[in-house]
Amino acid sequence: MEQWTRREDRRLLTGHGRYVADLEVPGCLDAAFVRSGVAHGIVREVDCAAAREVPGVVGAWSAADLSGLPACAHAAARLRDLPPVPRTLLARLSSEEAVAGREWPALAKDRVRYAGEAVAVVVAADRYRAEDGAAEVTVRIDPLPAVVTPAQAADDSVTLFDGLSNTAFTGEAGEPIEETVWQEADAVVEARYRQQLLMPAPMECRTILAVPEEDGRLSVWSGHQMPYRLRRELAALLDLPVDRIRVVVPDTGGAFGSKSATFPEFVTVAYLALTLGRPVRWIEDRMESMTAATRGRGQDQRIRLAADADGRLLAYELRIDADVGAYPHLGVGLPMQTAWMATGPYTTPRVHATVRSVLTNTMVTYPYRGAGRPEATIALERSMDLLARRLGLDPAELRRRNLIPAGSFPYRTPTGRCYDSGDYATALDLALTTIGYDTWREEQGRRRADPDALPLGIGLSCYVERSGGEPGGLHDFAGLEAHEDGTITARCGAAPSGQSHETTFPALVARTLGVEEARVHLVEGDTDAQPDGLGSFASRSAQVDGAALHHACALLIGLARERAAELWRTPVEEVEWSDGTLRLARDGSSAMELAELVKGTGPLRVDDRFESGMGFPFGAHAAVVEVDPELGAVRVLRLVAVDDCGIALDPAVVRGQAFGSAVQGIGQALYEGIPYGDDGVPLLADGLLDYLLPTAAEIPPIEVKETRTPSPVTPLGAKGAGESGCIGTPAAIVNAVADALQPADPDLLQMPLTPDVVWRAARAQEHGAQEHGASKAEEAR
Amino acid sequence: MKIILTVNGERHALDVEPRRVLADVLREDCRLTGTHLGCEQGVCGSCTVLVDGEAVRACLMLAVQCDGRSVRTVEGLSAPDGEPHPLQRAFSAEHALQCGFCTAGFLMVAVGALEADPTIADDPERMDGLVESNLCRCTGYEPIRRAIMRAAAEYASHARL
Repeated sequence: MEQWTRREDRRLLTGHGRYVADLEVPGCLDAAFVRSGVAHGIVREVDCAAAREVPGVVGAWSAADLSGLPACAHAAARLRDLPPVPRTLLARLSSEEAVAGREWPALAKDRVRYAGEAVAVVVAADRYRAEDGAAEVTVRIDPLPAVVTPAQAADDSVTLFDGLSNTAFTGEAGEPIEETVWQEADAVVEARYRQQLLMPAPMECRTILAVPEEDGRLSVWSGHQMPYRLRRELAALLDLPVDRIRVVVPDTGGAFGSKSATFPEFVTVAYLALTLGRPVRWIEDRMESMTAATRGRGQDQRIRLAADADGRLLAYELRIDADVGAYPHLGVGLPMQTAWMATGPYTTPRVHATVRSVLTNTMVTYPYRGAGRPEATIALERSMDLLARRLGLDPAELRRRNLIPAGSFPYRTPTGRCYDSGDYATALDLALTTIGYDTWREEQGRRRADPDALPLGIGLSCYVERSGGEPGGLHDFAGLEAHEDGTITARCGAAPSGQSHETTFPALVARTLGVEEARVHLVEGDTDAQPDGLGSFASRSAQVDGAALHHACALLIGLARERAAELWRTPVEEVEWSDGTLRLARDGSSAMELAELVKGTGPLRVDDRFESGMGFPFGAHAAVVEVDPELGAVRVLRLVAVDDCGIALDPAVVRGQAFGSAVQGIGQALYEGIPYGDDGVPLLADGLLDYLLPTAAEIPPIEVKETRTPSPVTPLGAKGAGESGCIGTPAAIVNAVADALQPADPDLLQMPLTPDVVWRAARAQEHGAQEHGASKAEEAR
Repeated sequence: MKIILTVNGERHALDVEPRRVLADVLREDCRLTGTHLGCEQGVCGSCTVLVDGEAVRACLMLAVQCDGRSVRTVEGLSAPDGEPHPLQRAFSAEHALQCGFCTAGFLMVAVGALEADPTIADDPERMDGLVESNLCRCTGYEPIRRAIMRAAAEYASHARL
């Protein structure tokens, strides 16, 4: 194994990984979906007759073909109509009121509500033939006016569901702030921010393979973060007991939050597999993914931030109009994450955040790496820089005066969070010294005095985020089994998509038990092999599953000591465990290896449910940029990311996550965004070329550093890692650009800071109020 | 249409529809699933393989265009005795992969370039061009660049021996 740093590497580097599309299943059918080309419209006709005549096509169905069926018309008589997409009220992220009357059909029947919504499905011997068939389906949709932004949709002049408002959810965190607070404050800044819609864009798109087994069970393979949820939701939809479904997560090509739902296509594929009694798979292609996979972010924000003359924060108000997309799913309540985290790392005594979640004719909004916390951090940190400028204070100094002191934890925020632990000032100081803050300030001063020099800006962003999940979803299941040959099987409910669990979890178990790493192997992502679990989301695997395995080690040691005590007819306190061996405490005699104990006393297995508290990772990011106002070009000269995720199971793996996450943060700040036409159709004619994922050409010098503040919420002390860059980096870059340009109207700097946006912001400053008003009107469109 | 593909030194006599792209034929007809499809429009580079030693996007080339030609995929990188290729070791050592989906494409782009000219790693601009040619959503690319440099150094030291 010494040739390979991670256990995953051997197969992934030699072409022997097994992603869903790589699995060979005899007789498997490929599904292709026929999708709406309009964003909002009345479905007049979906005719699949011609598709059924295409050679190789096994079947083609519209929603109407699969609804209103007589109960006995199917081979599987229990199945009736194609079920809708399951509602999910997980973690208070949606509500009964939000979903009532707003059903998300697996195939749209009467009305389409986003471009790319599936209206028919074709299955065939292979994907080529399935697409041949899909091309023959006749679809006629009468367009309705489309609403693409919350601002357009909120007045209900066009509604997505007849008789129901587009506003599907409202919520708040904290108490409303009295007007006198703003009136009496020495400084108040106000601003508007757009958190643009983003594509999570894992390199592997969504996948599902559903195989009806001979014993009547259904096996499902999917690149997925929550196999247990998928199992539970499919069982409910298909009217099967949960134990009749097995979900397996094989190698998964990235997820970033976007692979945890039971998507419309998944419902259709599982339903068809059961109905046809044949294996069916759907391997999403990139063009589909770009139109019909979930988006992240999508908030229009307005803020007010008040401080006294010394820069002590008095009050912060955040109003969020969130873009839910076409159907109320998790995106409805997801902005509450932003509201709950609105306080950020500061001691602000009054904080009030409100959320209005509005349906629009876009694909559904859903968690994407950071999931609500980037939106909170970006709004607050941009506002801190505005305030610093207003007060004439150094942005680092303003932050320092307001950071929650290290001795104040646990810290209860006005927006309802209880931060477990932190040392925010140390992270900021490390970021400042690492980037060479004072030197860059000097350089900035030099350039400001030189009319020929390009402006330079320095941006900071302090963040605190939340990991592990929300109450009710902070637990997971884990177990260990010691075998006669000396090996140990570790099991847990997580499901990785590139986070190195196969390496880091066995190493953790080996370290905790004091045995060789090679003796421990991990089983996860298989609902048969590990019957209970939750999955990998909310940066929870190390914090929750790692701690659960750590806890299982203690149970295993306890059980082994009890067995040995029985064997040696001695009190259990007399038996000690060290490095995989049991001994009599008084003289170290009667040593017995764990494997011998198993041989002598039978299988040794422990299983338990472990519950963590919420973790609050934090950090400070700093960026230096150079801006060419004539070209609108932003060059990031340096980025420093200081992150604290408590105890790291494997520092190299955590750094890899932090680095990749920072690059995604750069993507949000400077490049990524989905352009929509007025008709609500995404402007993606050239596919992936139209969505600017960062390439190696866009990577500045990045330095990742860490501080380590153990979390008290589990004995292991790990908090979540991996979302840090998406949360901390964007505001550092945007603040740096604003610092370079000092624009008259900072509201013009809305992400992504493309050359066009930057050029307009720079120009507004030069050409005065009239031009700036015109640009602002354009921006608002 | 009947074609002969030599893949990783092994001769495959295949009967393929002319419209099938090379990546699909490698994956489904030859059952070499290490070549992954990330976009099917030549942007991401995950499906990169070598055809007669030159890196191509296997999603943009028809299998019939490769009739009689020699194709090398990620499965053909290790030595016959299973000894990993220097690039494979370097990728592992530098954490140049996380989810692994794009990895074969980067490996094949890199092996094509290094075998054509091991001095490419001495020229930052050419190295930039190499790493910029494919997409990765996990690593942020720097580990991939370091891995290629590391393997190139190994190539160079072998060349001196």
